[in-house]
Amino acid sequence: MDLRAGDSWGLLACLCTVLWHLPAVPALNRTGDPGPGPSIQKTYDLTRYLEHQLRSLAGTYLNYLGPPFNEPDFNPPRLGAETLPRATVNLDVWRSLNDKLRLTQNYEAYSHLLCYLRGLNRQAATAELRRSLAHFCTSLQGLLGSIAGVMAALGYPLPHPLPGTEPTWAPGPAHSDFLQKMDDFWLLKELQTWLWRSAKDFNRLKKKIQPPAAAVTLHLEARGF
Amino acid sequence: MALSTIFLTVFLLALLSLRTYQSEVLSETLPLTPESLNVSINSAHQRLHLQWTIHNLAYHQELKMVFQIQISRFKTSNVIWKESYSTTVKQNQGLHWSWESKLPLECATHFVRVRGKVDDARIPEPKFWSNWSRWEEADAQNSLGPDLLFLFPEDKLVEEGSDVTFCYVSRNHQHNISCYLEAAQIHIDQLDPRVSTFKLKNVSFIRRTGTNIFCEDPGVAMKGTVLFVSKILEEPKDFFCETQDFKNLNCAWDPGSDTTLPKQPSQSYTLFESFSGKKMLCEHRNFCNWQVAQDSQEMYNFTLVAENYLRKRRVSILFNVTHRVHPMSPYNLFFENISATNATVTWKVHAIGNYSTFLCQLELLGEGKVIQQQNVSVKVSGEYLLDDLEPDTRYTARVRCAYANHFWKWSEPISQKFSTSEAAPSEAPDVWRNVRLVSGRPTVTLFWKPLSKSQANGKILFYKVIVENPDKPSKFEGLSIPAPANSTELPLNGSSYQIHVTAHNSVGPSPASVITVSGDPGNREVEEERVNITEDGFSVSWKPQAGAPAGYVVEWCDRPQDLPCDPQWKNLGPNATSTVIDSGAFRPGVRYNFRIYGISTERMAHLLERKTGYIEELAPSDNPRVVTSHLTSHSFTLTWKDYSTESQPGFIQGYYLYLKSKVGEQCLPGFEKTGLTDDSVYCKHRIDNPEQKTFVMENLQPESVYEFLITPYTSAGEGPLGAFTKVTTSSEYSHALVLILLPMIFFILLFTIVCYLKSQWLKEKCYPDIPDPCKSSVLSLIKSKENPHLTIMNVNDCVPDAIEVINKPEGSKIQFVGASKSLTEAEFTKPTYLYLLPTVKNSPGPGPCICFENFTYNQAASGSGSCDPFPITPQVPPGQRGPLTSRGNLLKALEKNYMNSLGEIPSGEASLNYVSQLVSPMSGDKDNLPTNPPEPILCSEYKMQMALPLGLASPPPSENSRLSSTALLDQGEHYR
Repeated sequence: MDLRAGDSWGLLACLCTVLWHLPAVPALNRTGDPGPGPSIQKTYDLTRYLEHQLRSLAGTYLNYLGPPFNEPDFNPPRLGAETLPRATVNLDVWRSLNDKLRLTQNYEAYSHLLCYLRGLNRQAATAELRRSLAHFCTSLQGLLGSIAGVMAALGYPLPHPLPGTEPTWAPGPAHSDFLQKMDDFWLLKELQTWLWRSAKDFNRLKKKIQPPAAAVTLHLEARGF
Repeated sequence: MALSTIFLTVFLLALLSLRTYQSEVLSETLPLTPESLNVSINSAHQRLHLQWTIHNLAYHQELKMVFQIQISRFKTSNVIWKESYSTTVKQNQGLHWSWESKLPLECATHFVRVRGKVDDARIPEPKFWSNWSRWEEADAQNSLGPDLLFLFPEDKLVEEGSDVTFCYVSRNHQHNISCYLEAAQIHIDQLDPRVSTFKLKNVSFIRRTGTNIFCEDPGVAMKGTVLFVSKILEEPKDFFCETQDFKNLNCAWDPGSDTTLPKQPSQSYTLFESFSGKKMLCEHRNFCNWQVAQDSQEMYNFTLVAENYLRKRRVSILFNVTHRVHPMSPYNLFFENISATNATVTWKVHAIGNYSTFLCQLELLGEGKVIQQQNVSVKVSGEYLLDDLEPDTRYTARVRCAYANHFWKWSEPISQKFSTSEAAPSEAPDVWRNVRLVSGRPTVTLFWKPLSKSQANGKILFYKVIVENPDKPSKFEGLSIPAPANSTELPLNGSSYQIHVTAHNSVGPSPASVITVSGDPGNREVEEERVNITEDGFSVSWKPQAGAPAGYVVEWCDRPQDLPCDPQWKNLGPNATSTVIDSGAFRPGVRYNFRIYGISTERMAHLLERKTGYIEELAPSDNPRVVTSHLTSHSFTLTWKDYSTESQPGFIQGYYLYLKSKVGEQCLPGFEKTGLTDDSVYCKHRIDNPEQKTFVMENLQPESVYEFLITPYTSAGEGPLGAFTKVTTSSEYSHALVLILLPMIFFILLFTIVCYLKSQWLKEKCYPDIPDPCKSSVLSLIKSKENPHLTIMNVNDCVPDAIEVINKPEGSKIQFVGASKSLTEAEFTKPTYLYLLPTVKNSPGPGPCICFENFTYNQAASGSGSCDPFPITPQVPPGQRGPLTSRGNLLKALEKNYMNSLGEIPSGEASLNYVSQLVSPMSGDKDNLPTNPPEPILCSEYKMQMALPLGLASPPPSENSRLSSTALLDQGEHYR
């Protein structure tokens, strides 16, 4: 595009106009809705915090169950824990998940895990362990609320049952005590995997929703000059 | 016939009855085989329950029977258990029997059969066993499910110390199963190709969540179980019941360990009273409240039953409730009328009924210890007067009560604190004094010890010191010294004073402590003795003083090294002649001095004796500084006069003198050989007198090196073996040499001094600079031979025609700061000649020869003629330019100008040179280069030489003067 001498005035006027209207550009308007970015970041931070918290809680709880459950290489079959939501998923499948599905799976998983965890709390014999479990349940409830907030911000409906309603099922007492311990073991292990996966999920979501500031481009129509 | 018929009938009837009886008996004697045998399995308790019946019994018939039961495992032929079971059997009544299997029943098929035998006394012998029932099979494996591996028993609850057998069943024929207790593999016994077992003996409690046991067929299956081990339920201990109000019985016990497990709730406690037949389940583990019946039941028989899933324990007590009264704690504990020594305490008790009496115990505690204990009988309110209390003291009163009719237990106590009020101090302060001269004036320092708490009776606020002069009876008000000061200083004059010291608290003063002090410090000479040491401290004793003293005081310092030290003293009675002084402040190696004073009836202290000693003597820590003197070829003297024996860590008993000995060398007389720790050998001499601080080493070899060391010793040992001092004896001839050389040096020195002092005289005698013509020998020769009238010219005949003033700045090395030209250059300036007579000045030829007496030659100025450079001022005042024709004018002018010049010219800067006109200028200043030498004056006569300030000279209008002026200008520039 060749610019004639008189065009320089026009270009200047254009720049002035752009600068004048710059505050009105939504992407740059700080006073406007910040979008889901901050809540995704907060959810991501919460998952990392819960990962840390669970590491301590799981250690205490598995010691409470006794060997072999607190052995580092103990890997029992899932048996009764089949009903637990699985966090492990094929990598390609995980990549192909859309945001809605990704968030929905997280939400559903934590809903179920929270329900199991509350059952665990009821069985715990020591007051200190009950206190730790109750604290973790509260944190996990917070994560669930945070995921619900992200979904709402992105306009996705929450899966049923609606958040806030008490889960209607809990691990049944029909198990033997050893199976129950295995279920507890798997619950903690699955919870740990889910938190790890959620950190990945929200990190991915964060990058997707919040493009870097340097990438903001303004498409200007130069045709008028 | 009829008779026979009757007989036959009777016989038949009898036969019939016999037949009936026999048939019944026969039915008993016949073997009664157990029938309808049913076997059921209780997996939780690992029990086989058997049930069977006996059908052959008559209706309502009861028989005692014994049954034999056989149990086989896996196959009928493998009988593992036989047991006989006796019971009473009824017709068609089900018989029950159970058996607990050690092996979990799920792991093996069991077979059971039973047979019976009548065991009733009514049945005559012989008795036969019935036939065995059919083998009944008990097989729990059918209900196991489809899994490949099973582990039994599941989640079993046992007590500590039990033996538990586990087994597993595998449906995998190629199994490779390992079993683990917690994480440790355990040994397995195979019972069957599919069944294996292992046994845990004497199991113990590990954790509440149980002991984990699991078996694993790697890659195929894994099964686990939890063994809950309960602690053994203990029998309740210390079970008792009591009442506070006859309305409730509080029963309590020590439950022992808790047996709660996830599989077992906490043990329950049930209270059963046998007289009333009442029973209640206790809500708590260690106590229970039982409502007392209204029917005045006094006797109670309680049984406490503790129970959990595994065990039941019971304990019983029988008691009369009136003997088990544990009253409630008293209340409303108050104090009334608290004074310094008394207080009244009141309290109330919770009454039980109308006629109850309580025994209350009142305890008075001070500083945590029980001081008084009183028992008071109380109906409702108690009251007691506490006396003999200490003023200003905090006490605690504690009251507890018991049921007086039948003592069972004291109630919980109630306690309250109170403090008695203050009272005036009960004792006079213990006062001591120290009199010393301060700036020549006697000054007494009073010390007093703080009163103990029991003496002070309150907080001491201040001490009052009143000084009374007995000569002047009118008292004067003394000082008030605020507590906690414990001393004060009072200046005195020479007379005696009586000093009263009282301690005051808020109530009043203490009795006065009186001490009489005189202005005399009383430092009279008293011989010092050594004090004895005992295990308890210093044992100080003294001779009793004549004249019945009021007492004695022993004074010392805890830290004598502190100046001034804080004196300590101990008062002793008039009959005391010794005491033991002990103080925690006494340290080994410190010398303590004790003074014993006698106290007169006028309370005046007189020094009686002085004692000194160490609580423990130590070896000296350092050696004296030794001075060597009187060194000769055969001896020298060692002196250590400045070594103080008083300030040592022990009494110095003497000194050891060590002399280093060479190998094989004999010690000097009086020395003996000794070896030291470093294997070196020394000669040692002991000096027993500590005051001998000098020693002469004799019998030494000339020109030899001796190394010695002097170290003091006390009863604790000798001083450190430090560095030896080397001394070399002088040569045998050195003394003679000294005797010769010293006088020689003396005489040489004397000669030199004389020469120096008489140098002038010598100079004149030996090498005079200017020969005196009057004294010249030549004169006598001339006089006698040529001209007998020849004489020495008198100065009065001379008219001076010229004075030669030489400006001769000596070659001073002084450099003026900032000078551009060195003053040494002035050395090359021409001498300036001042022509006093114009006629002569203008005369081109040599003038008449004038001789004059050199009367200035010996002037002081000549002697002090310095060679300081001095510039000649070219400007000469006009008044001074006049002709000096007469001698008087000349001298006048000279004197005037000289005086002026002294005022104008700094001293030391003027240069007066006297040049004999017989002497060539060259000779007067050989260093000067005569750039323009003056005309030689051909005169053999001597010329008068005069001192003239150089500043007076006017420059002659000659080439020389010009040169001089130039030079002077240059010199003047140096002063700019």
